[in-house]
Amino acid sequence: MAALLEVSDLRVRFDGGVDALRGLSFSLDRGEALAIVGESGAGKSTLAHSIVGLIQPPQASGSVLLDGRELLGADEQTLRSLRWSTVAIALQSMPFNPVASVGAQVAEPLREHRAMASAQARARAAELAEEVLLDPALLDRFPHELSGGERRRATLAMVLALDPELVILDEPLSGLDPDTKLELLAGWTSIAGRRGLAMIVISHDLPAAAQLAARSMVMYAGEVMEAGATSAVIERPAHPYSWALVNAYPVMSTTKDLRPIRGQPPDPRAVPPGCPFNTRCTQVETICREQHPPLARSRGRLVACHFGGLKELLSATDLHKTFRSDGRPVHALQGVSFSVGEGEAVGLIGPSGSGKSTLSRILTGHLAPDGGAVLLEGSALSASWRRGSRERRRRIQLVMQDPWDALSPRLAVEELVGEPLDVGSDGGADRRQAAVAEMLDAVGLPSSGTFLRARVHELSGGQLQRIALARALMTRPKLLVADEPTSMLDPSEQARLLVILRELQVEMGLGLVLVSHDVAVVRKVTDRVVVLDAGRVVEDGRTERFSAAPRSATGRRLVAAAPAFAPRVEEEES
Amino acid sequence: MRREGRVFLWLGGAIVAMLLLVALLAPLISPFDPRAIAGPSLAAPSTAHWLGTNDAGQDILSQLIWGTRSSAVVAVLAAGLAVGLGVAVGATAGLLGGWADLLAMRVVDVFLAVPALPLLILVAALAGPSRSTVILVIGMTGWPPVARVVRSQTLTLAGRGYVAAARGFGSGWLYVIRRHLVPTLAPLAVANFVYWAATAVVLQAGLAFLGLVDPTEVSWGSVLNRALAHQGIYFSEVWLWWVLPAGLAVTVAAFGLALLGVGLEPRANPRWRRA
Repeated sequence: MAALLEVSDLRVRFDGGVDALRGLSFSLDRGEALAIVGESGAGKSTLAHSIVGLIQPPQASGSVLLDGRELLGADEQTLRSLRWSTVAIALQSMPFNPVASVGAQVAEPLREHRAMASAQARARAAELAEEVLLDPALLDRFPHELSGGERRRATLAMVLALDPELVILDEPLSGLDPDTKLELLAGWTSIAGRRGLAMIVISHDLPAAAQLAARSMVMYAGEVMEAGATSAVIERPAHPYSWALVNAYPVMSTTKDLRPIRGQPPDPRAVPPGCPFNTRCTQVETICREQHPPLARSRGRLVACHFGGLKELLSATDLHKTFRSDGRPVHALQGVSFSVGEGEAVGLIGPSGSGKSTLSRILTGHLAPDGGAVLLEGSALSASWRRGSRERRRRIQLVMQDPWDALSPRLAVEELVGEPLDVGSDGGADRRQAAVAEMLDAVGLPSSGTFLRARVHELSGGQLQRIALARALMTRPKLLVADEPTSMLDPSEQARLLVILRELQVEMGLGLVLVSHDVAVVRKVTDRVVVLDAGRVVEDGRTERFSAAPRSATGRRLVAAAPAFAPRVEEEES
Repeated sequence: MRREGRVFLWLGGAIVAMLLLVALLAPLISPFDPRAIAGPSLAAPSTAHWLGTNDAGQDILSQLIWGTRSSAVVAVLAAGLAVGLGVAVGATAGLLGGWADLLAMRVVDVFLAVPALPLLILVAALAGPSRSTVILVIGMTGWPPVARVVRSQTLTLAGRGYVAAARGFGSGWLYVIRRHLVPTLAPLAVANFVYWAATAVVLQAGLAFLGLVDPTEVSWGSVLNRALAHQGIYFSEVWLWWVLPAGLAVTVAAFGLALLGVGLEPRANPRWRRA
């Protein structure tokens, strides 16, 4: 059986050179639901309008086959016969006529397309109202007398009037309160199931879209970035854009703070050449600016990325390290494997002596492991003095626990922050000054003359740790390993440092490994948590799952020990 | 502490600078050839001979002025030898670690067990009390403690987070030595240099006092030695311008260097600055 909807190479260009859709292809079977998500301006609504034939050549090109019939270039009669009865669209805000009753407007398509008698149409309208859980008594009212939720239900009744096979819901839930959202979601799911409806849900409300549709498609700048099963696309996004989009959305299931997507969506009149996301992507390379990535199969879904999605930044396999203490061996690491993806923030937690610091020193090339290997961006990282390994170490930086130890007491702030530049070949006094000022600014420190001349003993722990951070960022690393960066700071300094870390992570597309024994800190900043105990990984999972229900005994202990405000409830006097 | 430290530094510095100037300008400011017989034997101070003459009729002031030069040469060379060797051995041991460190430190232990003055007396007595012998012996007994301190400073530095950080952003070992090790060791080296210079001045004079001195050489020690060897030196007033000024010269030089050392202490030790 042919697909209900077959869109191929759909392009829409509006006057003024606005490229709204830039070669879109997908298909939808009968009874299937597809969620289309993306930021405003991604072309979602244009797509919806094209599917109901509202946008025609010469603006549109390509092909939209609905139930075997071509919509692009179809005459008005064909379109009219298809609209409402095969495909119906529920717009973001349905244009109700303010001077006619709701019931009359729901009955209107029935009377027009099916030539029903007025009474018959009214009876059918009441049936439809019941189906969408709208009190039929409300049909006599005027649109402005209904609540937002009721108007949406009336819209749906209208859309369903001619028993379409495909319903397009354009931002079906925007502006509604959570209770109403929930009711509507449940209602639609059951109606779609009952009627065998195919649905296209257009939304930037990710959870709603995910709940309604088993398949999802992520759009950006008029193109598909990623498409596949919702469980894959929304839960384990592969494309850097989908990943950023999911991270920007507040949901109860993540404990982490919101992360905006850096930069702005491109101007549809001037989409950059190559990959459209290249201006905001964190893993961009030359090829991204030159060649357009095809939508290709990767990791169980379709991804439009030259690298098949997010790259793996760091991977460590089977690390072993044994120290000697008084002649007795201390096994610090016993076969630890660990990885960090592009832009990912990983929390490394464990009790004292679990090997966290040893691991972080090995990961950053400060210490050589006895066994196993560390790969950074695909090439081996070693602790040797050789030039090649030294250059590579600049890509990954360690922020140490003790800022008083990590910063030389002999140097002034400017020398401290600028030190990585002295080592690297990129010199120039004015360039160096500008770079130092920029980095100090990024970590929220002044770059005035007096501050630049200050020395370690004149500054607070929080300031010092931010200076250490600025110094680490000076080499423009891809990955930052922070070993208990806040353990020596007071709560207010800690909060500041964490906020800065998170912002920098977005702005610079940094991968982050946050080493801590404090679950409360880790859950605010990281996507994933790795629990280490006695030199072994005992748990590895998404942060929100971990903090809600840790699987390992060590994890449970750490979560239980995490600080929480739990006011003691006074015994009630009787 | 800060202000007193500065006073010590200035006072010590002034004394040492003055002595160095005298040593440098000896041929110009010395009124007579220190070896020449310039007047009557054992003359009292006069306008011609400010400090009188000795038993051989040589001008005592000229001898002290030329003696300053001798002391300065011994002090600089002996201290330079001790500190140079100490820094080299200590830093190398600290940086290399392992068996090199072990070996160096055992050698240091052996040398530390040897007392400087008796060794000096022995060597001077056996090999002859020439100036180079004195320099060599002071240098060879002086380097082990320097090496030990430098090694521990180097080890501390190597374990510091900022050195690890420097390695982390790709610096080579030459950079670490230039940027971090040298500034750490420099004040330490200077303080040790001053200490061993003072020790050398006193030891050189001490040897001469004991009679282990090259009688042809003009130095504060040889002035003292000759004066003390003179029969009945304390029966007349001669000791006032023969023994006393020479002893005073040694004392002032040692005192000046000691003050300088105390004044430099805060610079050698960064923890002093933080307090």
